[in-house]
Amino acid sequence: MKIKKILIANRGEIAIRIMKTARLMKIRSVAIRTAVEPGAMYLSYADEIYDDSENVSEIPVFLNIEKLISITLEIKANAVHPGYGFLSENAYFAQKCLDNRIIFIGPSPDALYKMGNKTIARELALKNGIPMATGSQGNISNEEEAIATAEKIGYPVIIKAASGGGGRGMRIVRKSEEIERNFITASKEAEKAFNDPSVFIEKYIENPKHIEFQILGDTKGNIIHLGERECSIQRKHQKLLEEAPSCALDNSLRKKMGAIAVRIAKTVDYFSAGTVEFLLDSDRNFYFMEMNTRIQVEHPVTEVITGIDLIEQQIRIANGEELTIKQEDVKLKGWAIECRINAENVQAGFAPDPGKIENLSMPSGPEIRIDTGIQAGSSIVSAYDSMIAKIIVSGKDRKEAIKNCKLALDKVWIKGTKTTLPFFRMLVRNQKFHDGTFTTSFIEKDLEKFYYNSEYEEMLAAWLATKLFVEENLEENSIQIDFEDGKVMSPWLLNKRVNQF
Amino acid sequence: MNDKLRIKKLYALSSENRKFSFSLPLKNKIRIGKRDYVVQLRADEKFGAYILWKNRKYPIEIVRSRQNKYEILFNDISYTFTVETPFSLQRMKVLNSKRGKAEQEYIRAPMPGKIIDVLVREGSPVLKGEPVLILEAMKMQNEILSPANGIVKSVTARPNANVMKDDLLVEIKVE
Repeated sequence: MKIKKILIANRGEIAIRIMKTARLMKIRSVAIRTAVEPGAMYLSYADEIYDDSENVSEIPVFLNIEKLISITLEIKANAVHPGYGFLSENAYFAQKCLDNRIIFIGPSPDALYKMGNKTIARELALKNGIPMATGSQGNISNEEEAIATAEKIGYPVIIKAASGGGGRGMRIVRKSEEIERNFITASKEAEKAFNDPSVFIEKYIENPKHIEFQILGDTKGNIIHLGERECSIQRKHQKLLEEAPSCALDNSLRKKMGAIAVRIAKTVDYFSAGTVEFLLDSDRNFYFMEMNTRIQVEHPVTEVITGIDLIEQQIRIANGEELTIKQEDVKLKGWAIECRINAENVQAGFAPDPGKIENLSMPSGPEIRIDTGIQAGSSIVSAYDSMIAKIIVSGKDRKEAIKNCKLALDKVWIKGTKTTLPFFRMLVRNQKFHDGTFTTSFIEKDLEKFYYNSEYEEMLAAWLATKLFVEENLEENSIQIDFEDGKVMSPWLLNKRVNQF
Repeated sequence: MNDKLRIKKLYALSSENRKFSFSLPLKNKIRIGKRDYVVQLRADEKFGAYILWKNRKYPIEIVRSRQNKYEILFNDISYTFTVETPFSLQRMKVLNSKRGKAEQEYIRAPMPGKIIDVLVREGSPVLKGEPVLILEAMKMQNEILSPANGIVKSVTARPNANVMKDDLLVEIKVE
């Protein structure tokens, strides 16, 4: 069975990303219109739209397994692409697709289940001699065991939810008097968040780099890696900037880690695109953390430096085709950096700042790629994540990529919400970022200021405030002011006024 | 009481208490060192409103304005100013010295979400920038920070409660 028509079980930029490749491969794609975003940009990339906008359930349709299966059958699609997030790593959904003779564009339900359960993944890795942080034998069942295990491993330790992942469900414990309380809370949190209270304990690696390897495997047992991505710029385990390759790796370490990544994928007979995450310490020791069994947000940086379309590979593999790329064919060329522009208020601890994007202008050029699902008039809704766009910039080497990135960031204009732009403008001017010595604790420990403004910007803003005050309060040709009677004007009126200058 | 007076200067006071003074009538020029630089307030189809300064365009947006208080996004960074006349500035100083600085700060939910954890209780001392509670929204756990140094006067937020935007969460007596 060859894929002819795909239901896109996702939204936003990743839905568009998948549909673009599908079109190139002459495969039809179907997107779902929802009540939350009935006019969303991704809908305009679909060959067909399934209208689900009457459905006002609080649970997004992208998480509703029965509904997605019935839509797929109704529209006569023979494949589903889950994108990232939502049901992308749900073994039950993948199995349901197979049961209904629908191709799930991703790995097998078995691989999803095993890698999705961190305890099983750990055991598999241990059995196969994969380097890992010292940890508990399986899950921890009570407080006493938690205390004993942590003592044995040595502090600091990290408590992780067995069903967690993507940075959720983790707690770092530095002192023995905190282990009991943290174990109980972690277990409760895991129960609430993942419907599974199981947790395990690992040695916490201090100040590591987060390095991950892109994997491609086919259904014939061929598995290769496409080099690494450096994702150490993260805040609370949420990645903000990723690059490929990493300046922390040389060819011999890349070869070593890549081979281990492939070995991990082989333990579950992995096929499709996947990512093996490692922590790398300052002595160049590396530890397997987890495997992400989906296409990742940051996949474009790998595509840019390898020239391989990962979505196309996913579709071909799902079709049963054999990989035509051999490990020795994979050449890393140049450098790529991705900045995640989110609707967040950097000055208020990166708090989401949902709202309507009134205007948006993105730079373009041979070294710039923009992946976005947002256009002028779109809203960043609180039902979904806060991503506005991914700005992917390349160069012949890291230095040039950073330089190009700096130029590109100044050309991004987004009006309507606060964004992470000022953070990236700071980052591309930061010495530690330039020299590449940053680790995952960079944002929490090394930064005093999370945003960049040049010398005179605050003064210019002060001038603007004064200008507005004068316009509102002082009549023409007179400098009289009635100030107890200050007028209240709506921002809309003011914006209109500003526009009229 | 209406204060009709002739004003020669205006002051923009930032939330961090930096003072910028501008002579009236307000010129479209700003002096840096010995040179005047032209500031132009413009708008076009592509970018909306912007300021042109030293050959560079800076996007601007007025987030909020209330009486003499303005929140401005300038090149994507938020600044809050109150614009004062020499007279109102003087009066503010007098009032502040009489009243001391003891005021209330109300921490409200910045967005709809669910309270995950409340980190303070009534009577807790808090420092500016210290997290007081954790609100989950948009798939993220967000620390809500204290806007000032002070003592927690009351805590309305309860763990696991769903809150709407602008719901009162914590009240702080500023010290």
